[in-house]
Amino acid sequence: MVAAAALRVVCCGGSPLHGARAVFSADARYLLCTSGDFVKVYSAATEELVRVLRGHGGLVTGVRLNPHNRLQLYSSSLDGSIKLWDFTDGILIKIFLWSDAFQLVSVKLTKTAGQDVEAKEFSVVLEGVDASPKCTAFGREGEYVASVKNFHLQVYFFKRKQLNRFSLRATNAKGGNNLFTCVACHPKEDCIATGHGDGKIRLWRNFYHNKEYVFSTLHWHHDRVMDLCFSIEGTSLLSGGVEAVLVQWHSGSDCKKDFLPRLGSAIEYISVSSDGTLYCTLHTDNRITIINSNLRFSKSIQGLIKARDVKTGLVVDPRTKALVLNGEPGHLQFYCLQSDKQLYSLDIVQQEYIQQAGLNQTDLVKVAFSAQGKWLATVEEREEEPDLELHLKLWFFDEETQSFKLNTQISMPHDDHITAMCFRDMDELEDDSLILVTAGKDCLFKVWVILEDTDPEGKHAQQSLSWSCDFVGSYHNYQATNCCFSEDGSLLAVSFEETVTVWDSSTWDLKCTFCHPPGKIRYVCFGRLTCSKYLIGATDHGFLCCWNLLSCALEWSAHLNVVVLQPDPLSEHIAAVSWLSKESSLFVFKPNEPRPICIQRNLCKEKIQFAAFVPRDVPETIGSEKYLWLRRSQLYFLTDTQELMTFSTKPPEERLTVSSKQLAVEESLPVTPFSLLLGKHRHQQSQGDIDLTKVVRNRHEQDSPAVKELLHTPAHVLPSASFLCPIFINSLLISKEKKSAEEVADEVEMESEDAEEDSDEEKDITEMEQENIKPMDLLGEITCKLSKAEEKELRKVRKMDYSWISAF
Amino acid sequence: MPPQNLLISFTFSFFSPIFQDGPQRKKRKSEAAEVDKQLDILAIGTAVGSILLYSTVKGELQSKLDGGHDNRINCVRWHQDNYCLYSCSEDKHIVEWNTQTCKVKCKWKGDNSSVSSLCISPDGKMLLSAGRTIKLWDLETKEVYRHFTGHATSVSSLMFTTVKPMNENKSFDGITGLYFLSGAIHDRLLSVWQIRSDRKEKNAVMSFTVTDEPTFIDLTVSEVKEEPVKLAVVCRDGQLHLFEHILNGYCKKPLTSNCTIQIATPGNDGDSTPKPVPILAAAFCTDKQSLLLVYGNTLQPIIERVSLNTSESHICLIRDVQKVLALKTDVAVTKVKTPVVNSDTKVLVPGIPGHSAAVKTPSSGKEKNKSKRKPGETEVSIEERLGALDIDVSKVKTPGGLPQTDSFAVLLVQGLESNDSDILNKVLNTRKETLIKNTVARMPIHAVIPLLQYLFNIISSASQMVRWLKCVFTLHASYLSTLPDLIPQLGMLYQLMESRVKTLQKLSRLNGRLFLLVTQVAASETVQDVTEVNQTAKLVYEDGKCCMLGVAQLLSSRDS
Repeated sequence: MVAAAALRVVCCGGSPLHGARAVFSADARYLLCTSGDFVKVYSAATEELVRVLRGHGGLVTGVRLNPHNRLQLYSSSLDGSIKLWDFTDGILIKIFLWSDAFQLVSVKLTKTAGQDVEAKEFSVVLEGVDASPKCTAFGREGEYVASVKNFHLQVYFFKRKQLNRFSLRATNAKGGNNLFTCVACHPKEDCIATGHGDGKIRLWRNFYHNKEYVFSTLHWHHDRVMDLCFSIEGTSLLSGGVEAVLVQWHSGSDCKKDFLPRLGSAIEYISVSSDGTLYCTLHTDNRITIINSNLRFSKSIQGLIKARDVKTGLVVDPRTKALVLNGEPGHLQFYCLQSDKQLYSLDIVQQEYIQQAGLNQTDLVKVAFSAQGKWLATVEEREEEPDLELHLKLWFFDEETQSFKLNTQISMPHDDHITAMCFRDMDELEDDSLILVTAGKDCLFKVWVILEDTDPEGKHAQQSLSWSCDFVGSYHNYQATNCCFSEDGSLLAVSFEETVTVWDSSTWDLKCTFCHPPGKIRYVCFGRLTCSKYLIGATDHGFLCCWNLLSCALEWSAHLNVVVLQPDPLSEHIAAVSWLSKESSLFVFKPNEPRPICIQRNLCKEKIQFAAFVPRDVPETIGSEKYLWLRRSQLYFLTDTQELMTFSTKPPEERLTVSSKQLAVEESLPVTPFSLLLGKHRHQQSQGDIDLTKVVRNRHEQDSPAVKELLHTPAHVLPSASFLCPIFINSLLISKEKKSAEEVADEVEMESEDAEEDSDEEKDITEMEQENIKPMDLLGEITCKLSKAEEKELRKVRKMDYSWISAF
Repeated sequence: MPPQNLLISFTFSFFSPIFQDGPQRKKRKSEAAEVDKQLDILAIGTAVGSILLYSTVKGELQSKLDGGHDNRINCVRWHQDNYCLYSCSEDKHIVEWNTQTCKVKCKWKGDNSSVSSLCISPDGKMLLSAGRTIKLWDLETKEVYRHFTGHATSVSSLMFTTVKPMNENKSFDGITGLYFLSGAIHDRLLSVWQIRSDRKEKNAVMSFTVTDEPTFIDLTVSEVKEEPVKLAVVCRDGQLHLFEHILNGYCKKPLTSNCTIQIATPGNDGDSTPKPVPILAAAFCTDKQSLLLVYGNTLQPIIERVSLNTSESHICLIRDVQKVLALKTDVAVTKVKTPVVNSDTKVLVPGIPGHSAAVKTPSSGKEKNKSKRKPGETEVSIEERLGALDIDVSKVKTPGGLPQTDSFAVLLVQGLESNDSDILNKVLNTRKETLIKNTVARMPIHAVIPLLQYLFNIISSASQMVRWLKCVFTLHASYLSTLPDLIPQLGMLYQLMESRVKTLQKLSRLNGRLFLLVTQVAASETVQDVTEVNQTAKLVYEDGKCCMLGVAQLLSSRDS
């Protein structure tokens, strides 16, 4: 290996995907969404991550396609910059720097050469707008901007420079909350839809006049409307909320609506692809759902699902090597670390989850796997004052059906919360020696064993395995807080508040006790391999102690406020994460020496909740002595914000290349009669996409090649009817000719750009563009008379590559 | 690798290109190996001689390589280092492709007949091709370096098994001393060849024998001399054979497999005979200790990771393919798996033995259960004994016609001794306080513990036994307190009573609430009755029905 590379902390999953509204690419093949400091490009067809756009130094707050070049993307970030990307190749084209107070402004994005540009020209449009990007929307063809805050709706008309304000009372007659939560504008008509805190949707019309406005109300949601979105033609309105139901309202009426229920969790954002075939919902638990326009589930992109509260900690499933933790309420998610995807989610509680605030529902609190993954123990609880409902479930992995099967269900195994649970991990031994220990706040720990049941009556001849209690232990009526088996399974350590007790697992005799007053024991674990004679404990008074089990004496202790203590199952190393003065530090040590092997300060900004060592498939070759502890297993940890982090010794470039290094294969699609037919129409279509104002020339129906081909191609090679229909209809239409945009389009960089604030305001059209409209209209009449040849010339100019300019 | 994930990626191999002519057959998919695993391009050869490049990440066709072959493509191989693609075809040629430009880089005649298989050497400088003979080509000069002859039928698979020669004393030129493996159609033998410097490779070095024609081969390449080569061969009959062998020199006898893996359905419900499930493919995981198995039908294969255990020579995995598949189709949409919850799961609630054993009673429950069971199994009931003595059974029972306390005590003891539930039920079902009291008082002292245990066993179903318990405890408390093993004997009963007491409060609270609810419902019903009477009295109109209805609604709304 080359010189020792520094240990770096790498985020590998769980970064929030719901930071801003996702955007479909123009051809609806890719989905672009923000993820922490990055923009991620997903394939809408395969759910795979195609590309990650890295470069922002802060949280990315919004993404928008460049209206003048649909292959480019603008992204805004908290680091005060707007960046222009070519997202198909992952190239950063331009950076616009920006720094100012928070308000809705229009920025002129200049066309100057060079990559770093400081945006200087800007004008304030609205002041005091809500920070959420949902609260601002641009109206039909960018004529006005609507913004909501608290109980006010502001509409600003760019052309007339007029500002209209509409206000609602805080509560209506029936006590509903009139708070504005989101706003959306109709793409074709003058209509603004606003969502409210009580679940109502108001459709505002005739808002040109301060007094004569009207609105109609749609009401289905029972709680606040999280997001609204009009379909491309504006014929239907999509709304979503905490109910996890996507509602499609047809033609603005209250009676006609369609639902897509059971989307898993609250909908945060809704977006529509530009051809209207796909919808996309972003959920609060980091899930992206792609939905067909007929409200059918299409795809679901889910990485690490964000649970409301991770109580189970990080557990590794020995069978799939997946990370197991809380997922959807009542479910256990199996997260594949290699592919950053959810393997599956196991419905443990099997109760319908009701999306309603203030309802105490059953959730999982503890999970444990036996050494081979054959048994799974789960604890679920429901806290309903003053009672507590507890269930301990023991699942057996059935090889035949490849699924878990409930073996024993124990209700109220303890009278109070269960604080810890562990299996005796012994690889070689049979089921008989399998032992499960649960420790509870009711001052007891219980030992559960497998018994072979034979029916006392002898009715059923077959014997079945089931679990039952074998031993109940307690110590001076202290609450049991932790339990842990030694590596060979002969000793059990149970901590009771300030004391660690060590029990013999064959006779259940109390062998010895350790304590390090003052301070309760937070974590306890045994050393492994050569260090198996040591017992490690961490107290909440900031001490890490190591006791020798042979001499029953304290070997060493260190002053360290340990928040996470995690032993590596494959080596002697133990990782301890401390939390001191808003900074997490990692200490890796062997129990036989008090000096840590590796210290890594300032891991991340957030507090670390859990950690887990995941065994590697193949031991990694690590050059540096210092990082040898990472050879056989990898350390993952979960922060307060549920981001999954890990360590990497590889230099950053090496990791980066993984996604960016793709074979640059020239796209040459097959040329067959079928593809010729397809290709021609695709070409026409894509041209129509790029140049929106250009419409196919009017022809007689019989002459139209589309119709000709349609009629003369054998039926079995024709594409689907849904594909041919628009072509056919297009050929019948008599089109109006407009070529206004031709003049403007021959410039590669647009002269006025959508602007974004330093936080998360989006803008489609700016004032600059407004001024341009009039001359363009005039131009349109002139260009109408352009000959075909001239038109071709223009198109050629537009297609030319000007990117070399920006290189200078 | 997780099974669910792979299911998706595997379906790519069933992608069928759109062409008008002839039945298409996908010959081989090969993703580039070790170095460039991140490549997402799948090369698919077609029967018309073109090669399609398919992007698995984007899920669409990337490009088409045309103009190289004019007949069926037999094999496609990626080069490890540069993104070159090698293909061979029925038209006797081998073509080297530049995938960046989608153009033919080089084309040469590979054999006198069709070329059926290709393999690139570990150092990337040589190419093995198999037609009528196996040829080793130098990739720079495109000249034949070696010939190997031996297979009677056309070779279907070629694979290098080592990256370094086994004897390190000689200088290594990148190819000499390496072993490779070949399998042929309709041939149950896999041959291993060694590339030697002395050009004396007349015959195969050794061979492996399998049960049927090999359809899929995977192996782990050994890097150390002592490490055996692991070979997994999937045969046409659906079996998987595992070989472990250290390659060194000649071996005349064909080697048989160390381990054979088969998969079958359980066949316990409905159709009673287990059916074999064919294994379609197998691949070693990176840790070389476990194997990914692909089985089921080709349209919806199941992928499972199995850890290797070659100590057994024959392994039959039992898999319920129907149920597994049913689960998978759900997974495709929502990824939510519902684990099986049957009615035969054991449910432990507070009070049931085993829920919370007595404090400090190591494994007493187990032993007690056994001792308790024994009398029931071995001893014959009194009824049977009497039957054996040929005495009329009814005589014993008739004295109990008129209840007498002394006879009850006798009966109870008899019932307990013989474990006869008929007699015991008859005695225990009595409700008279005095009768119970007298019976318990007259009962011999040795019967107290058996009675308590019997009561404990049935108390969950019969609540009136509490009277008996109460009597026993009040009358025989002194005896019970003298018992040395009182805790193990009565610990369970104590636990039961404690848990019942704990839930009593909640139960009474629920009872109270239900009572309130029921009374309120009843009260509201009576109120409604009254109003209905009033309404009928008020509605005496003769104008017509619709008018009446309107007025009635008006009135009722005012009433409410």
